[in-house]
Amino acid sequence: MNYLVDRIAGVGAYALGVLRAAFELWMVFVGTIAGIWRLYGRRGATRPPGALVEQMHVIGNRSLLFIVVTVGFIGMVMIYQACLQFSRSVGDLSQIGVQFARLIVSDLGPTLTSMMLATRVGAGIAAEIGSMKVTEQVDALRMSGVLPIDYLLVPRFLASIVMTMVLSILGAAIMYGAGGLTAYLSFGVNPRVFYDLAMVEPRHLGLGLLKAFCYGAAIPIVSGFCGLRARGSSEGVGWATTAAVVGSSFAVIALDFMLSVGALWLFGGDV
Amino acid sequence: MIELQDVGVRFASRQVLDGVRLDVARGARLGIIGPAASGKSVLIKVIAGLVAPSSGRLIIDGTDVTGLTEERLAPVRARIGMLFQNYALYDFLTVEGNVGFPLVRRGEPADQVAQRVRDRLRAVGLAGSEHKLPSQLSGGMKKRVGIARATIAAPELVLYDEPTAGLDPVTTSKMYDLLRADHEQSGATAIAVSSDVAALIGFVDTVIFLYQGRAHYQGPAATVADAPDPVVRQFVRGALDGPLVG
Repeated sequence: MNYLVDRIAGVGAYALGVLRAAFELWMVFVGTIAGIWRLYGRRGATRPPGALVEQMHVIGNRSLLFIVVTVGFIGMVMIYQACLQFSRSVGDLSQIGVQFARLIVSDLGPTLTSMMLATRVGAGIAAEIGSMKVTEQVDALRMSGVLPIDYLLVPRFLASIVMTMVLSILGAAIMYGAGGLTAYLSFGVNPRVFYDLAMVEPRHLGLGLLKAFCYGAAIPIVSGFCGLRARGSSEGVGWATTAAVVGSSFAVIALDFMLSVGALWLFGGDV
Repeated sequence: MIELQDVGVRFASRQVLDGVRLDVARGARLGIIGPAASGKSVLIKVIAGLVAPSSGRLIIDGTDVTGLTEERLAPVRARIGMLFQNYALYDFLTVEGNVGFPLVRRGEPADQVAQRVRDRLRAVGLAGSEHKLPSQLSGGMKKRVGIARATIAAPELVLYDEPTAGLDPVTTSKMYDLLRADHEQSGATAIAVSSDVAALIGFVDTVIFLYQGRAHYQGPAATVADAPDPVVRQFVRGALDGPLVG
């Protein structure tokens, strides 16, 4: 009986912990939005000098090679497999490029690029903020009258939104280009046939950009939240980094699902 | 200046502080001593507003600041300087950037900030170290940078969390000489937490002995080694035998 009571109490405590964490995550998001107003909406606010440009460089420029290489390979593998299956079953490869373009623009471009960014950028943000937390640097900021969210998260949040959108466009282009090259070199698909954007409509582009915007907002929020929850020493920073990668990757997938369902509901089957 | 009324702090199932009462007058120097894990650092963080008490009240200059939001605490903290146990120097800023940070955040002109940083670094014996990064400094130098940062904005209250932890005896003496000179000049209130009781009692007027989360004893620093309480006496003298638990 005692065992059962302990188990139920354990499950209850875990559920409460999850709820508390979800509430804290929400408060970090709300605090970040309020921080944007505090820093950029008021006259004479003291902003971290050069922080936004520096973070755009860290998140965008330093991720460039990683994104180009990974999404390039993903595009090549996907098109190779698609061509292989189509050549065995249907035999007609003329529609692959047209369909692939639409899929990349509305979904794969932003989602896969952001998944890659979630690992690199998410881990970086959590490790940086987490190590500041465990070495009391975050407390030192608070003692100087600085809100840690304003100083640490707001520049990363804005930079991540901008650079995720830019890298998603670039990633989609690389994926499409690499896929077309693979189709031509491995299966002889004419590039004029493959690189056909006839089925891409403005709503696909809008959905893709909306997804990139949401992913770009979610990655620093989840990662910053994990960093700010770091406790203890290096072990706590390790935990925060792992949680940030898992959490922000999960956020990308969950947002992809929700936005895709929303678009399906809005536009019918053609998204 | 500082008043703690029955302050308690609870982390999960552990009661770290329990009903702590404290009254620190303006200009006083208070030392907080006690065994490891007795809640000394937590108490100093409660006074700084960095840890919210689970019960009780924190009153600064007659104003109850318990449970204030971070934004509303900012003007209170502007009057407090703090030296952290692990230095807490911003590793992305130089020594100059670290020391001048509180002034830059208040929007003071860059030339004034630079001048005050130079003066402050000279006072703590670190002139010429302006462009070094924290990773290039020794433990004693980091502590001195921390002191310079904590005091550059001329705070009314300075909190020192283990100001000499990890330092050799000579550097410890130098550090306390520096703190003594600083406070004699500024007249600021000081609250220091330290495990090095012998060195601390030369700096503070009064000590409070935290034991099992409670303010077990409070009395003059000069006579703490002869305190009537046997637990305090054992702790200060470092005796192995006695009633001290843990």
